[in-house]
This record gives sequence, structure tokens and C-alpha cells, in this order.
Amino acid sequence: MEKEQLKLQLKQQIIQFLNLTNVKPEDIKDDEPLFGEGLGLDSIDSIELIVLLSREYGINIQDPKEGRKILVDINTMVDYIVEHRTK
Amino acid sequence: MGIFIHKINCISPQQTWGDIDIQTLRAAEENRLYAREPVYDGIPPGILRRMGRAVRMGVGCALPLMKDSSPDGIIIGTSNGGMEDCIKFLNQIMDYEEGMLTPGNFVQSTANATAAQLGLMTANRNYNITHVHRGLAFENALLDAMMWLKENPGHNLLLEGLDEISNYNYNIDYLDGWYKDGNVQNKDLYATETKGTIAGEGAAAFIVNNNREQAIAEVKSVRTIHTNNEADLKSFLRRFLDEQISGEIIDVLVSGENGDSRYAHYYKAVEALLPDSMVVRYKHMFGEFGAGSALALWLACRQGAFPHHSIKRAMPHTAGSILIYNSYKEWQHGFILLKRMDPENS
Repeated sequence: MEKEQLKLQLKQQIIQFLNLTNVKPEDIKDDEPLFGEGLGLDSIDSIELIVLLSREYGINIQDPKEGRKILVDINTMVDYIVEHRTK
Repeated sequence: MGIFIHKINCISPQQTWGDIDIQTLRAAEENRLYAREPVYDGIPPGILRRMGRAVRMGVGCALPLMKDSSPDGIIIGTSNGGMEDCIKFLNQIMDYEEGMLTPGNFVQSTANATAAQLGLMTANRNYNITHVHRGLAFENALLDAMMWLKENPGHNLLLEGLDEISNYNYNIDYLDGWYKDGNVQNKDLYATETKGTIAGEGAAAFIVNNNREQAIAEVKSVRTIHTNNEADLKSFLRRFLDEQISGEIIDVLVSGENGDSRYAHYYKAVEALLPDSMVVRYKHMFGEFGAGSALALWLACRQGAFPHHSIKRAMPHTAGSILIYNSYKEWQHGFILLKRMDPENS
């Protein structure tokens, strides 16, 4: 899958998993921080995103420190998915 | 001495929020009366997006009352809490073989999620409890409020009853014979002579204390009984009335009659013991759910006339003393005795 296509798919999945009913994929910028500013996600959302990566891409993040580097923005998530996905 | 109700709010399948209009009866969809939810301005979007219907309705209904009153406790009655999220969570356990599960459904599915969320959102660290006695959940919450205020006079409590329709749970209850076959209009609910009823949902919230001044109603007593014996129910009610009103008449009976032909005899028996009372029904407006008597209390507390479509037996007297009777799934019966008051002269 092309990276751009993967980004769009990931944005759709984030909207679905986190029930971001008023957000469209085009509202999420690739380099916009997911937490704090930008999309404004919080710690419960981070667990939802870890579950998303596990279910949709077969990626299991065990180390929280590792998670902090991956769940920065769409770009960092997609880069990690491309490298580590098992499905 | 009872407790006094000062403020009320209700989210229900009827227009009970904003510009209240309960004279117009909103129709059920496929034997379900879904709540007409308002725009929840007071709930931050980041929190709102995680809430299931029960939590959303419960928080949305109570929050405006809490902002004005800063209650010293939160007491909620709910039969099922966030049942839809609960079943989603259980399904995840099955689908993902007890593997990694999303926390959102779990957090929202516990019965005390509404009371907890209200406490968190308003930084209210006081008494916080949820009663889950199925069809007597709200009656028990009310009883708790009465006991708590007796021990702690001079305080305010938030009291609330709520439940949601869960489509999963609807199917389970339907297969168990609790809902009607075929499509039944809620306006015709009492004319049906078949088993089952229609499902409903909603939330009703109250600020209560033991201050008579400017109260809109006084809850004088609440009693519950588990029985499937009509004679036991009648003698229980006779004793209750003898103790509470000793010969005076009840102006209005607010009856939880629900169109289920199998259990209509309970309601007829209670009506027969109160031959001089006006009889008002509410299940065609709100549907059947465990904490439905909370919405009956909201209806009873409102000033002015009862909606024309709710009146089963008309009487010339005005509503002063009111008895709410609700029966749930044959066994659980609750009575709430209250007196409607004029806030200007109380």
C-alpha cells in the first residue's frame, strides 16, 4: 500500500476508534501532534491507539517509552507501521 | 418527614427538555421509544465523544442542576447503566480472545460511570453512589437520599434515575417475552391485549434537601416489595396507605401500566384500592425501563395539568397528593408517595 493511502486509512481508523465524530480525515494534518495541542488526545486515547495498532496491523507495543516515540503524529505512526506491520 | 424536591430536569423520548411540550405524543420506532437528546453544551467534546447514551443522558441531565446547586452527594439509580458499552466490551473479549481490549467501552459500561463522571467533571468528592436494583433502582436511590438527608440535614443531594435502550439487550429481553411482537404504536399501548410492552429510555434528575421553602414537591415516603402475589401486593398497599394518609384520599395515581396483558392485574388492583383518585399513565410516553419511575416522579412534580393522552381516569380535584406505582417484570413493585407544592407559597 502506498504511504499516502496508508495515512488516509490510518486517519479513518483513528476517527473510528476514538469516536471523533466531528473530525474528517482531511482535518488531521500529517505532522500535527496527536496529543496535547493539535488533535488534543489524552492518555486513554493512547491506549486506544495501541489497541488499534495491535488489531489492524499486528503491532504490539510493550514498552511505553517506545509508544511515546511512535504516537507523535500521523507521519511517525505510518513510518512505524510500514516497518513493523505483521498484517 | 420526607424530603423536598427543588429542581428537576428530564431527558426522555418526549419533548421534556428546553421548550417542554408533553401534550404532543412522539411516536415509538419499532416498539422502542428512543430519547430525544439535546445538544450537550455543558460537556466538553473530548469527554462527550467517549460517552455512551446512558452516561451522556445522565450527565447531560444532571449537570445543569449541579452547576446551580453544588450538591453534597450524588445518588443515582439505574437498572442497567451503559448496557450497550458493556455488551460491546464483552463481545471484544470474545472476538479478540481475551487479548488487548479498548478501555473506552469498559470505562463507560460500569453502572456507576455516570455518577463517577459527574463527580469528576464537577470536582465533587462527596457521597457518590449508584443503586442497581433492576426495576427498583430508582426507588432505592430515593430511599438512600431520604435516609442520608435525615442523617445530614441542611444539605443538598443530586438524585437521578436513568437507563438506555441497548439493542443487544432489547433482543435478549424480546426473546424472553418482555417486548411485544409486531409493530405497536405507543398511542395504542394500553389497548393491546397481548404480552410484552415497548422499550424506553431516559434520565430524570432532581435536587433534593429537607428545606420546605420554595420546594416544588415533597416526597413523603417510598416503599418497595418483591412479590408475584396480587393479594400480598394489595395488603402491602393498604398498610402503606393506612400509615401514610389514614383515611385521606390520594388525588392522583401515576400508574406504570405498560400494556402487558399478563401483569395488568397488578395495576387494576392498585386502581381499585384508590377509587376516588385520578389515574395517569406514562409508559406510552417514556416506554418501559428499570429506572422508569424516575421519569414518573418528574411528571408528577411538574406544575400544571397532566397531558391529556396520559389520563385514564379523570377526577375534578387538583393534584395535591400523588402516588406513583410501578411494577417491573412481575416481581418488583415500588410506591412513591409525594405531595405537589406551590413553590411561591411553600
